[in-house]
Amino acid sequence: MKRLATLAAIAAAVLFPFLVTSPYYLHLVVVIAIFSIVTMGLDIVFGYTGEVSLGHAALFGVGAYTAGVLAFQFGLGFWIAIPCAIVVALAFGALLALPALRVTGPYLAMVTLAFGTIVAILINEMTFLTNGPLGISLSKPLFADVREQLPFLEMSRPRLRDVEYYYVVMASFALVVLVINRLLASRFGRAFEALRDSPIASDCMGVSVYRHKVLAFVLSAGFAGFAGVLFAYSEQYIAPNNFSFELSIQFLLAVTMGGRKSRVGPVLGAAIVVYLPNLLADIGQFRAVAGSIAAVAVLSGGWRMIKLPEERLRTLVPVLLCLGFFVFSLLLEKITDYKLTVFGLMILFMVYYLPEGIWGFVRTGLAGFVSAPAPIAARGDDANVWSATAPRVAEGRALLEVKHITMQFGGLKALDNIDLTVMPGTIHGLIGPNGSGKSTMMNVLTGIYTPTAGAVAFEGQDIQGQTPSAIAGAGIARTFQNVQLFGELSLLQNIMVGLNHFYRGGVADVALATPRARREEAAARLRAASLLRFVGLEALAHEEARNLPYGKQRLLEIARALALDPKLLLLDEPAAGLTAPDIKELIAIIHKIRDHGITLILIEHHMDVVMTLSDTVTVLDFGQKIAEGKPAEVQADAKVIAAYLGGSHAEAA
Amino acid sequence: MQILAQLIASGIAVGMIYGVIAFGYQLTFATSKTLNFGQGEALMLGSLVGLTVVSFTGYWIMLPIVLAFGLVQGAVVERLGVRQAIRTKSEAGWIMATIALGIIFKNLAENIWGRDALKFPSPLPEAPLSFMGVNVLPMEVVIVFGALAMMLLVEVFNRRSIYGKAVVATANDRDAAGLMGINTSLVITFSYSLSSMTAAFAGVLVAPVTLTGAAMGGALGLKAFAVAIIGGLSSGMGVVVGGLILGITETLTGYYISTGYKDVPGLVLLLLVLSFKPSGLFGSATIKKV
Amino acid sequence: MLRNLTVALALSTLLTTTALAQPVKIGLTGPFTGGSASMGVSMRDGVKLAVGEINKAGGIMGRQIQLVERDDEAKNEVGVQIAQELINKEQVVATLGFINTGVALASQRFYQEAEIPVLNNVATGTAIATQFKSPNYIFRTSANDQIQSAMIASEAVKRQGFKAPAILADSTNYGQLGREDLTKALALSNIKPVAEEKFNIGDTDMTAQLLRAKQAGADVILTYAIGPELAQIANGMAKLGWKVPMIGSWTLSMATFIDNAGANGEGAMMPQTFIQTGNTAKRKGFIEAYQAAYKVDRIPSPVSAAQGYDSVFLLKAAIEQAKSTDGAKIRAALENLQTKVDGVVTVYDHPYTATDHEAISGNIPVFGVVKGGRVVVAHEDDIAGDKAVRVKPKN
Repeated sequence: MKRLATLAAIAAAVLFPFLVTSPYYLHLVVVIAIFSIVTMGLDIVFGYTGEVSLGHAALFGVGAYTAGVLAFQFGLGFWIAIPCAIVVALAFGALLALPALRVTGPYLAMVTLAFGTIVAILINEMTFLTNGPLGISLSKPLFADVREQLPFLEMSRPRLRDVEYYYVVMASFALVVLVINRLLASRFGRAFEALRDSPIASDCMGVSVYRHKVLAFVLSAGFAGFAGVLFAYSEQYIAPNNFSFELSIQFLLAVTMGGRKSRVGPVLGAAIVVYLPNLLADIGQFRAVAGSIAAVAVLSGGWRMIKLPEERLRTLVPVLLCLGFFVFSLLLEKITDYKLTVFGLMILFMVYYLPEGIWGFVRTGLAGFVSAPAPIAARGDDANVWSATAPRVAEGRALLEVKHITMQFGGLKALDNIDLTVMPGTIHGLIGPNGSGKSTMMNVLTGIYTPTAGAVAFEGQDIQGQTPSAIAGAGIARTFQNVQLFGELSLLQNIMVGLNHFYRGGVADVALATPRARREEAAARLRAASLLRFVGLEALAHEEARNLPYGKQRLLEIARALALDPKLLLLDEPAAGLTAPDIKELIAIIHKIRDHGITLILIEHHMDVVMTLSDTVTVLDFGQKIAEGKPAEVQADAKVIAAYLGGSHAEAA
Repeated sequence: MQILAQLIASGIAVGMIYGVIAFGYQLTFATSKTLNFGQGEALMLGSLVGLTVVSFTGYWIMLPIVLAFGLVQGAVVERLGVRQAIRTKSEAGWIMATIALGIIFKNLAENIWGRDALKFPSPLPEAPLSFMGVNVLPMEVVIVFGALAMMLLVEVFNRRSIYGKAVVATANDRDAAGLMGINTSLVITFSYSLSSMTAAFAGVLVAPVTLTGAAMGGALGLKAFAVAIIGGLSSGMGVVVGGLILGITETLTGYYISTGYKDVPGLVLLLLVLSFKPSGLFGSATIKKV
Repeated sequence: MLRNLTVALALSTLLTTTALAQPVKIGLTGPFTGGSASMGVSMRDGVKLAVGEINKAGGIMGRQIQLVERDDEAKNEVGVQIAQELINKEQVVATLGFINTGVALASQRFYQEAEIPVLNNVATGTAIATQFKSPNYIFRTSANDQIQSAMIASEAVKRQGFKAPAILADSTNYGQLGREDLTKALALSNIKPVAEEKFNIGDTDMTAQLLRAKQAGADVILTYAIGPELAQIANGMAKLGWKVPMIGSWTLSMATFIDNAGANGEGAMMPQTFIQTGNTAKRKGFIEAYQAAYKVDRIPSPVSAAQGYDSVFLLKAAIEQAKSTDGAKIRAALENLQTKVDGVVTVYDHPYTATDHEAISGNIPVFGVVKGGRVVVAHEDDIAGDKAVRVKPKN
């Protein structure tokens, strides 16, 4: 089905210049395709990693001006401009991303905005290079004069030039779609989605949030730069005010309106923002479109009302709004003065009723008719559960040594001068009442917190102060007390994020789909499926993680942590919320993990679980270590009993 | 020396304008972690409504009317643009919705008040005051102190009143505050009202100096956004300092370096501040909870 | 056979008659929203006034004029799209418009390629009318920056004897291209500006720029910017307690400058092709018609309105002379216009040639001055007697 649609789209694109001979529509399609390249690239940042960039117009401008300056100052043409512009845009993207992506949310939006403004000022002021406010004129290249070879074409020279350029842009567009599809289906795409769902879990899976955000941003900048060249040669004139802040807003609007996290959505969005000014200029066209929107609304709303009678009222409102919009368009005499209001109302309507954008809406609607493509089957086996090389740890020496760790938050000492030694191959229990500092300890060990004082040595190396992803890379994996799965990824993909460390191929491998990239992907898939099988979730491999019941989510987290091939595995309350049979299964799994030479630290409130599993137990209370020893010794300790039963901390497990 | 003093004086006036608008960003960010990207338009509407009202009532009666208008306008923005997005936890939603409302407000203002910049009558004489060779307009002095007074009043209100406590609670943990019986969505609506009220007030305050008109909001709103980020979105002190820094940097750069690059150092400063202090000069870093 | 021929004949007559009855489509583009909208709207209203008059009197060769209005929002890329739409979809015969130099430079190449004449009504960038070599389809009815800056320089230096001008221009291409032309014009009198300062659209504080000019010892301020920022300059000077004359491009006549600068703007001078004083019958009629049609007393931008108005009559004359709506023929007719067109700005007597596409020559504009909140003629003897209507010298 999808393949058929793709083929139809390609055929339509190839035939278009001959079916519609008006240069107006040809140019319109070219501009839409160029904007689509930017919006699809922006979608990587905005849709997948969830960060807002207001600097993409500037990156687009950097690309266009690279082409402009090369032509204007050096007389270099289109084919040289393309690689140069991509490289320059990548460089600018990195220049921006490296400092900017230390911040997030509105701070990042501001940084990108500031960057955009600075670039616009520089283009305007650096007259010696950019010709300043006068702008740069270029001329569209005629790639090959094929009129003599293909006499049946019957084209004038300018038209041939336009048609050729159309094909160049369309080919570029197709290429970009292909590359973005490959990137997003690869480990990079999974990492982008993962870091948005849970940045902390990503870091702790060795997928550095910062580095992947920078990567996403830089890639996206490259696409914007590429589109910039195409734009410069399509418009044949560029000036600084082409690339203003408003254009960045338009790109964002396009992605949101079209629908994030897809290729079709950003293309639809680009078509809307490009065509909307024309549409809103002509009252007749505007009425026609408002009418067809109303018709679609009535049809889809009516269908929905029949299918979901209990939501009748909620469905009725948007349908009435669409009808009202149509009536409004009929009453409107002149549209120029109010076109921005109409535009604003359209955005509001989308935010309310099409939060996933037009394509999101269509996709949900189509889901009832078209079955989703079957995902590539993944069959795991027992042979591929464990890493080919078993973790090797020096016997007899401590695997983890925590020395005098203090962690202070303001006036509160969450951890106060704690020592902890974990021997290889053991299961080390860590217990204590709520608020005693267990989870803080976990966070210190995995680098989420930098301890106020003290040192953590893992295999003899100090690791305090290192980033979570570096620590994960060193061989410490963890699960989380409040489950941190990548909700919108499938179970299989969740585990494949954990397997990120295993890939050697880079972006170029993925983009070119080299044999290595394919081999690695297949191997990772097999390994992930095997891990799923190990925790008994193989049947649900393609389910989205957020749809799992709670107990299964904890198992999935363990499988994902194992994907890191850790030497030390930290389990933070793995039995919380599990039923009795589930707990039994869990205990069996933990035993198997230990049998494969992986050391474990176990935080748990279920005393029976801790006591049956642990070789050594450490008890924390108010950030202090109050007892340590074999389970039986600890259970008999008076201080421990007091901590659990006495005072105000009566929340014994 | 005299020139430096003159530049700093002008920078302070400009900076306080940025600061008081930036303050509005903080108010809503504190309660809902959202910003009104149409803050500049709230300022513009306040100032244009003020312009219409002032011809009937005179300056002083106009003020409370504009403040009331700001309260209502902010509530409208929150109800139409932000609430839905907060409910669905959609980051893109509130950004798009507040931008959309800003566009609509601007377009409506263009149709009501025209597309040109308009003069706002100054309640004070327009002849400059001279202190030791430094000239300032009486209205600039009013801007500086009016802005400070406005921020102070809102701060006092936030700290002393029961609403203020609800704000703090909502800011700390919206879900917990909700469980404690605080109507958090009302708190958020009210924070938007307050935010637009300060913006509307800022609008009538600055209009005699900056001119008013449908287009006045855009540039000021963006500069104020920069100020809010430099200062930190969680610090009242931050916007004042951030505003002064940006305002003074602009005039000093303009004079001593080049007027063409006037905006660059302020923005570079912003980038530097954020590279070293990711939550702004006075912002406090949040502790990640796992 | 014979029957077929009759049918074909009948059909073709039918087609030609309907073709004759078909309206003449003319594109009209400019910014009708946003910062430069007052110029765009005045220009549009001037054009519409003329079209109304012509249609009432029977149109062009018996065909009514139909305007296709498009708002370019002062954005280059929107202008480009509109050009494509007007040319290929609406298939206009010619286009009137362009307020912003950047939009003109970006869009008019498409008209040039499609061989459709454009009459630039307001944009003043010098490069506009010379962007293409002959056959050039781009014509202009406004005074370009070269003419204006020469006038400004000569007024400031020769007539009023200033020695140390400072240039204040906005950072858009309007301001910056004008600034370049101004420096060149000053250089002809061996004068170098003592300061050249920039500001952005929307800037509200001009202290730094003005102090630099003041410290450099400027005795006159030459401006290239638009209304609101010009007002900020005048107000900023008042604030600093520093008063030197302002002389600048025609935009000093914008209502947004005059109103917002108030007393501070009095005395500012600018070249004007048209001033709202009814000193000839033609002008009086135009002003009254405009006032009646749009219910205003003061035309928001009289220059834009007048140039827009005249452009329609120039185009009409050319189409009638060409007896065709073919672009190349209209261009040829414009370049050799036999009829004198009596416009409000001037009497257009052979306004264009194959190489000269500027209807306004350096002798046509006069200096206006802001006085009592209106633009009046600065030097009465400029328009005394037979100088009331100033005509381009024969090429």
